[in-house]
Amino acid sequence: MRGRPMLYTRYETDQALMNTGTKKLMLALFLVFLILVPLGVIPGVDFLAQDEWLRLLSEVSIYGIAALGLNVLTGLAGQVSLGHAFFMGVGAYTAAWLGAAPGPFNGLGLPIWIWLPAAGIVAAVIGVAVGPTAVRVRGLYLAFVTLGLVFVGEYVFRNWTSLTGGAQTGRTFPPLEFRLWKEETPLIDFVSDGPWFGIELSGEAKTYYLLAVFAIVFVVLSKNLQRTRVGRAFQSIRDRDVAAEIMGVNEAKYKLIAFGISSFYAGIGGALLASFVGRMIPEQWNLFLSVEIIAIVLIGGAGVVTGTILGSVFVILLPRIVEDVTHGLAAIVVEGSGPIAWIGDLFISTGLDDFGFVNTQAGVAPGLSIPQFNQVLYGLLIILFLIFEPLGLYGIWLRIRNYWKGWPFTY
Amino acid sequence: MKAKSKWLAIFLVLGLILAACGGDGGTDETTTSAESTDTTEDMTSTTEGDMTSTTAGGAGEIATDVGVDLEAGTITVGLLSDLSGVFSSLVQIIVTGHEVYWEQVNANGGIGGLEVVVNPVDTAYDPPTHVQRYEELKDEVVAFGHSTGSPHTVAINDQLQADGILAIPLTWYSGWSDDAINANLLHHGVPYCLESMNIIGYLKDMMGDGLQTIAIASNPGDYGLDSHEGAVLAAEALGLEVVYEGREAINAADEATLTEVANGIVQSGADLAYVTTSPTAFSTIFGTALAQGYQGTWSGAGPSYNPAFIAPDSPIKDAIAASTYWSAYYGLWGMDTPGVQEATQLLTDSGRVEVPVSAYFEGFVEAQIMHAALEQAYANGDMTQAGVLAAAKSLENVALDGLGPDETYVGANNDQVQRASAAIWRPDPEALASGESAGEEVLETDYTNAITEAYEFNEACYSLEG
Amino acid sequence: MTPAAVVLAQEVTLGGNEFTEMLVEGLSLGTIYALLAVGFVIIFKATQVINFAHGAIAAMGGFLVASMATILDIPGRWLPDAPAWVSWVGSVVIALVAMALIGMMLERVFLRPMVGEELFAIAIVTLGLDIVIRNVVNDFIGQFPRPMGDPFALAIFDLGWVRIAHTEALQIAVALATVGAIALFFRSRMGIAMRATAFDQEAARAQGISVGKVFSISWAIGAVLATVAAIFISMFPRRPAGVDQQTAFFAFKAFPAIIIGGLDSIIGGIVGGLIVGLAESAASTYLAFEFLGTGFAGIVPYLLMLLVLLVRPYGLFGTEEIRRV
Repeated sequence: MRGRPMLYTRYETDQALMNTGTKKLMLALFLVFLILVPLGVIPGVDFLAQDEWLRLLSEVSIYGIAALGLNVLTGLAGQVSLGHAFFMGVGAYTAAWLGAAPGPFNGLGLPIWIWLPAAGIVAAVIGVAVGPTAVRVRGLYLAFVTLGLVFVGEYVFRNWTSLTGGAQTGRTFPPLEFRLWKEETPLIDFVSDGPWFGIELSGEAKTYYLLAVFAIVFVVLSKNLQRTRVGRAFQSIRDRDVAAEIMGVNEAKYKLIAFGISSFYAGIGGALLASFVGRMIPEQWNLFLSVEIIAIVLIGGAGVVTGTILGSVFVILLPRIVEDVTHGLAAIVVEGSGPIAWIGDLFISTGLDDFGFVNTQAGVAPGLSIPQFNQVLYGLLIILFLIFEPLGLYGIWLRIRNYWKGWPFTY
Repeated sequence: MKAKSKWLAIFLVLGLILAACGGDGGTDETTTSAESTDTTEDMTSTTEGDMTSTTAGGAGEIATDVGVDLEAGTITVGLLSDLSGVFSSLVQIIVTGHEVYWEQVNANGGIGGLEVVVNPVDTAYDPPTHVQRYEELKDEVVAFGHSTGSPHTVAINDQLQADGILAIPLTWYSGWSDDAINANLLHHGVPYCLESMNIIGYLKDMMGDGLQTIAIASNPGDYGLDSHEGAVLAAEALGLEVVYEGREAINAADEATLTEVANGIVQSGADLAYVTTSPTAFSTIFGTALAQGYQGTWSGAGPSYNPAFIAPDSPIKDAIAASTYWSAYYGLWGMDTPGVQEATQLLTDSGRVEVPVSAYFEGFVEAQIMHAALEQAYANGDMTQAGVLAAAKSLENVALDGLGPDETYVGANNDQVQRASAAIWRPDPEALASGESAGEEVLETDYTNAITEAYEFNEACYSLEG
Repeated sequence: MTPAAVVLAQEVTLGGNEFTEMLVEGLSLGTIYALLAVGFVIIFKATQVINFAHGAIAAMGGFLVASMATILDIPGRWLPDAPAWVSWVGSVVIALVAMALIGMMLERVFLRPMVGEELFAIAIVTLGLDIVIRNVVNDFIGQFPRPMGDPFALAIFDLGWVRIAHTEALQIAVALATVGAIALFFRSRMGIAMRATAFDQEAARAQGISVGKVFSISWAIGAVLATVAAIFISMFPRRPAGVDQQTAFFAFKAFPAIIIGGLDSIIGGIVGGLIVGLAESAASTYLAFEFLGTGFAGIVPYLLMLLVLLVRPYGLFGTEEIRRV
């Protein structure tokens, strides 16, 4: 009996985080992959070791963490929110107040082990505080309450100059450095170049490692949440709130908890984003950031932790990939040989009178510029995923997996 | 269900193709950059040695590190451009200006035989993207021909200093002339703050007793506030009474703030309304105040204006022409200076000018300053990133032939700062309609008002720190 | 097209009466919000779609009007002798018909496949649609605003105690006429079919109503109303330079109007629009205090919305949802 897949003799094994041996193996391989990426030793993806790609991967971790929070609220508890950006902003400014060096704007210069958890906690407290309004309204009305939150929040951020630096100006945020207390040189510094354990690493690589570790911690927490009492309560509310209440799930209480947890993730994500970038203006915590996070959750597959991470990889890396592909294609088109050049020419406009959907000469040639094209593609992907594959990338992955599982049979 | 799965298949295939292409693009990228790092390592090691044969023009040994490839004969200049954000329309034109300028330089032998290539990347006018793009380019370019946006440039300023790279900020914030923050930055054109003094001083000279009161309103941020401080200083120097002050009162995205400012201006009945904001917000404030019967004169920082105000179908074209005056950072289309004439010729010949607008000249000005810095670095025999920075910071009297006022980068803040507006002008709808110019009637060129001349510039008018 | 009258050198009482100015501004803003809100509510009632792309559709409509009236000069180029307003009205009608068709097409292609899915998922589809339309339309609009080419120019009625631009007067009149037309429409056969569909899609279908047709028509009406709103947004005195890349964002202020009125009530949309317009105008006139910072009037609609939801979670005129287990 032992060793057969999908056969569980104990409830604990069924509910284990890693319920199959393949998963354990895959995970181990994936972790090794993550560790080796910045060293540039994996053939085929060695380009990822460049600073620019490491920064993009760090961004994947940050957006992933923030999106995991929305996944708890929307994916698990079924509550709609357009207000994620607001809570990210709250986290970022909490981090700034506690962690930034004293200067023209509020800053206490406390170490990261205080400001980072505090960013999450303050965001969570505010999430629970606005919760009563949110719990009272349902469904689409909730979407609008949270939309209002983003606008009101932006107004507060713009005007609270002593904390946020003011509209269009912004302020700096604490860097990713680990100090025990306020000592001059940090104990561990994640931003500047230097050796770790005898291996020479760039600052980008160190930042990448730190953020990857954070992302893994939050992935595990999220996965774990799903199999707790709270997680099951969330899902029952999502599936049918009245039924859940009749079964004894305190709807209001669990909705508040969901808001709190989601805002905690958002706060951490916002603090990390601001710290990673170094300087943010208050206008950036806007609706479009919320939409980006929603896109990550939906493209990845709502309610699935793996999906959220896949979504983050996809949404963050796609613009870069599209840009490279367009430039590559344009080069082929200009050289002008073979069927690829011919097809590419229909698609890309390389000159002033050349028809195409995308151009490489923004503003003068016909068609959309590459950034505009990226935006259009991003919008189209949101639409197409929702119409054709509501389970998102995770759904596609499931199909592929099931296909090979049953191979050569088709069922 | 069947149809749905078919669609899915199509989509999946497309996705896979996309992924495959992405991989290709990525690997291409690595090979090229790996090559370039290899060669640069070669070069740095050889400069100490004896390999001078590859240096073009035989001007002696040229030290290089990033962005200058002596073998391929290219110099790469990065552009951190807003190609998709709020200023994309303007910045796209400026990038074209850069490209046309360098085409001509390269055709005439480049810099000691080296061709200059510009590499514009999109920052979307978003600080995180700006920082990301900086990181991408810093290992490929010798310097940055422009960096769009002030908070954005400040966001990369520490990195610029750490990496020792030069950048030309594409904004006219007075802080770029302040040595507290400009160690790696080159200012150009009259800053917002002194621009306000020039144009308000000009209007006072012109209107005399007709100008006694002023209403000032501004956007937040360095753009609005730098300009705002200048207007307040000008009012002080000229003895004007500030009857309405909307400091940071405008949020271009928020209709209510525009009405509020328009009401404030109308009720103050000021002789001059000095409004620094985006063109859309300016036109709304202008229109709303006009509807309420306001008849004063208008001005503001240059970016508040848009040629569409006086387009043939614009309802406000006559009102704008009758009541607004502006100052220019760079030459205007059709202006009678050698620099402008030459640039106009080049642009027209290039066939890349859709509408004649002066913004192309901004690209020219940035490129010319970069050109001077690169020439100097070449003459010094040090075309490393640090070498170009040092060369740029030693430039004195960069002659722009009237395309813009000449620039100097040595001396104290007060000596370096640009005081001259390239032009004082008023909109001219007829000239625009006839297509002979961008609709700008030039009143003065290379203009510095007496109050601007007298102003002691020691630090940025508005501080952008923290 | 030459401006009918340039009111510049005219003796005026500056600013008029503060209260009446506030009222005019509030009504002018409020009717724009109401036009947007009503289109939005009609779409929601008939198809259960929260249309986040409403602003982008409005910008598209505005751009179409601008292209017809000024860039392509249709039908003006064939009517050289007609008065300016005739050819302008012709341009607007052509643009409205085109937008009605585009509205139907959008529904058919992007939203019909989502029928029966979760409301939130459908709403997010429209968010994606907003991104797509906005970017494409903005690429067409380009670097400079596109003027509407209307014949009213800067003409103003000056009644002494209040000054009101011809455009604003027209706007209020058109908004009233639209409300009347919609009221009449809902008494027509199609209107009754639409009400039936809004009440219960399946039951309506069982009664022989073509639900698909109802969906199409509701989107056509929504797109047309959005375009009408965009025209008035992009004229003197609000956006005298015309429709530009920011026009699409105007509709965000209509959202509080919709919620205050109630998502599924047309009367609610109108009342909500007027409340929001007047509140915003009043706040910018009477609440311009230093300590409130910049842009307080702009969030007053959202604060009102939150307040209304606390008291009535389904808006002032919205129907409470009856939930089953």
